[in-house]
Amino acid sequence: MAADTSTAPASLAFPRATFAKLTPGPFLHAHLKQSPPIRPSGRTLIECREPQITTGSLTHSHGSAVVRLGDTTVVCSAQGEILNASDTPSPPDADDGDLLETLGLLVPNVELSTGCSPAHLPGNPPSTLAQSLSWKVRTLLYGSDLVNPKDLQITFTAPKIDEEDDASVPEVKAYWTLYLDIMFISLDGNPFDAAWLAVMAALRTTRLPKASWDADTEAVVCSPALEDYSRLTLQATPVTATFAVFSTANPLKQRSEAESWVLADPDTSEEDVCREAVTVVLDGSNRVLGVEKAGGRAVGKESVRECVELTFGRWKDVNAMLP
Amino acid sequence: MQADRRRLNAPAGGTAPPVFASANTSPPRRRRKADEHRKIFLQTGIVPSAAGSAYYELPPDPATPPLTRKSSLKITCTVHGPRPLPRNAAFSPNLLLTTHVKYAPFATKTRRGYVRDSSERDLGLHLETALRGVVIGERWPKSAADVVITVLEGEDDGPAGAHSGDMGSGWGMLSVLAGCITVASAAIVDAGIDCVDLVSGGVAALVHDQSSEITTVLDPAPAEHVTRAACLVAYLQSRDEITEMWMKGDAGGDLGGLIESAVQSATLARTVLVEAVKDSTEARVAAMSPPELPSTDAASKGRPKDVVTTG
Repeated sequence: MAADTSTAPASLAFPRATFAKLTPGPFLHAHLKQSPPIRPSGRTLIECREPQITTGSLTHSHGSAVVRLGDTTVVCSAQGEILNASDTPSPPDADDGDLLETLGLLVPNVELSTGCSPAHLPGNPPSTLAQSLSWKVRTLLYGSDLVNPKDLQITFTAPKIDEEDDASVPEVKAYWTLYLDIMFISLDGNPFDAAWLAVMAALRTTRLPKASWDADTEAVVCSPALEDYSRLTLQATPVTATFAVFSTANPLKQRSEAESWVLADPDTSEEDVCREAVTVVLDGSNRVLGVEKAGGRAVGKESVRECVELTFGRWKDVNAMLP
Repeated sequence: MQADRRRLNAPAGGTAPPVFASANTSPPRRRRKADEHRKIFLQTGIVPSAAGSAYYELPPDPATPPLTRKSSLKITCTVHGPRPLPRNAAFSPNLLLTTHVKYAPFATKTRRGYVRDSSERDLGLHLETALRGVVIGERWPKSAADVVITVLEGEDDGPAGAHSGDMGSGWGMLSVLAGCITVASAAIVDAGIDCVDLVSGGVAALVHDQSSEITTVLDPAPAEHVTRAACLVAYLQSRDEITEMWMKGDAGGDLGGLIESAVQSATLARTVLVEAVKDSTEARVAAMSPPELPSTDAASKGRPKDVVTTG
C-alpha cells in the first residue's frame, strides 16, 4: 500500500507570555527582525518611556520626588542635616573647588533591596548593582558641579565690638549635609536613569530652612517661618540616557553574520538578554559630561555618536518635564 | 555609629537634625468624630514583577489649615511567592511565611538608618502572627513566601514637643502596624495565596481630650492628642476571630470595651480592603481574557504586537 501523505506535524504554538519566559532571547530577536523593528512592549528602537514626576509628597523631607518610568517606580528624598565646622578634620580652604567632595556633604544611597523585583529581596547587604548605582550617582553629583557650595554654607559675621575693629569676615560655622535616599518601589529596567531623574527632581524642589549661628548657645538655629525657606541654586541640568545592545554574535559563527540593535531605555526583559550597554550623560545642548560603554564589541564609534545625538534630543524633553 | 562599609556614609564628624527656634506648626486637632476612620487609599498591583503588591495611604485631610503639620501614612507591600524551597531545606508541610518590615530613612522626623533595628523586627513578628492565622498554609508544602513591607512615611509618635515618656512612646507604631496588616492582606490576595478570610487591622485608643476627660477614639492619629492606652487588633470579620492583638498603656478597668472599639475600627478598614480586592480580581480576569481582533494601525500603535514564533 502506498504511504499516504500525512499532514506535516503542527508546529508548537505558545501564547506570548509563555514564549517570553521560555526563550527570552529568540523572543526579542523575532520582534527585532521585523521591518520596521519593534520591541515586545510595542516601542520602537529609539523610543524611551515617558517619565511621570510627582514632587513634594513626603512630609519629613526638605525635598522629595516620585518618578515612574514605565513600571519602574522610584522615590527620592532630600533631607538636610547640620554638620558643624568644628567637627570637620581640618578647616577647609575657602577657594577649594572640591569643597563638597572633601567634606562629603552630598550623601546619595540607592536602596534596591525593597522587594522591587524577585531578584532584589531584602535581608541582604547592598548588592553590587546597588553599590555601583550609588557610586555612579555620587560621581555625577560631584562631577557636574550641580550644587553650589555657597548654598550649603552657614556663615556667621561677628558684630563689631569697638569702633577701631576692622569689619569682621564672615566665618563658616556649619554646613548643610544633604542625604539623598533613593528607594526603588518597583524595578523594570534602567535603574540609573530613573534614580538620576528622581535626584534631579528632588533637588530642584528642595527648600532648606534659613539657618544661622547663635553665638550664645554656640549652635545652629533655624528659622521656622515658611517664607524663610530657600531653594537651592542648581548650576547644571545633567540628563542621562541608557541604551542596551542586543546582538546575535556567537563565538561559533562568523563575526560578519552577527546583527545588533541598540535599544533605548531597556526594560528588565531586554536587559536580561543584552550583554552590552551604553550610558550617555549630557548637560545642556552641547556639553557631554560622560559616555560609558561596556560589555561587548557590537557598538562602534558611529553607534555611540548616534546615541549621543539621541540623548541631546532627550535632554530637551526631560528639561521641559523637570519641575 | 559604625560606618556601613557597603553604603555611602555621612561625613565623619556626624550630623544633627536642624533645631528650630520655635515650633513651626500649630498642633493639629482631631476634626473627625470619635468613631470615624480616616479615608484610606488602597491600590493593588503597583509592582507588576512581584506575585502580589499593594499600596496603602492615609492621605492628609485637605481641610486642615496649611500651616498645620499633616500626617499621612504611606506603606507599600510586595509579596513574592509561593516559590519552592531549596533542595537542601528541610521538608515543611506548611507554607513558610517570612515578613520583613522596614522604615525608609526619610519615614520619620529623625532620620533612620538602612539596617533594620529591633523595633522593625518586632513589627515584622507581629505582622507574621497576624497573617499566619489567615493563610491556609497546608496547601503549599515545601514552599516559601516573602511579604516585604516598606513604610515610606510613618505616623508621629505623639503631639509635637510633648513628654511621651510617662505613658510610653511609640503610639505611632500601632497605627503603622494596622496599616501593614491591611496592606499585606491585600497583597497576599493579589498574589493568589489561599486565605480563610480577609484580615484587616484596626486601632482604638483612650485619649485625654481638651476637657481632660478620657474618651475612646477609633483610628487615633497620635499627633492629635495625648494617648493613655491603645489597642490594635487584626480581625477576621466573617469568622469573628482575632489573629493578633497588641495593647499598650493603662486601659483602666474597661479592657473589653477598648478591644471592641478596635474591632469596630478594623471593620471600617475592611470595607476599603474588600473594594480593593474586588478591583484587583477584575483587573486580573480582564488580563486573562483573549486579546481583541487586530484593528487599524493607528489604534494598535504602541501595543504589543504578536509575532509568529515556532517551537
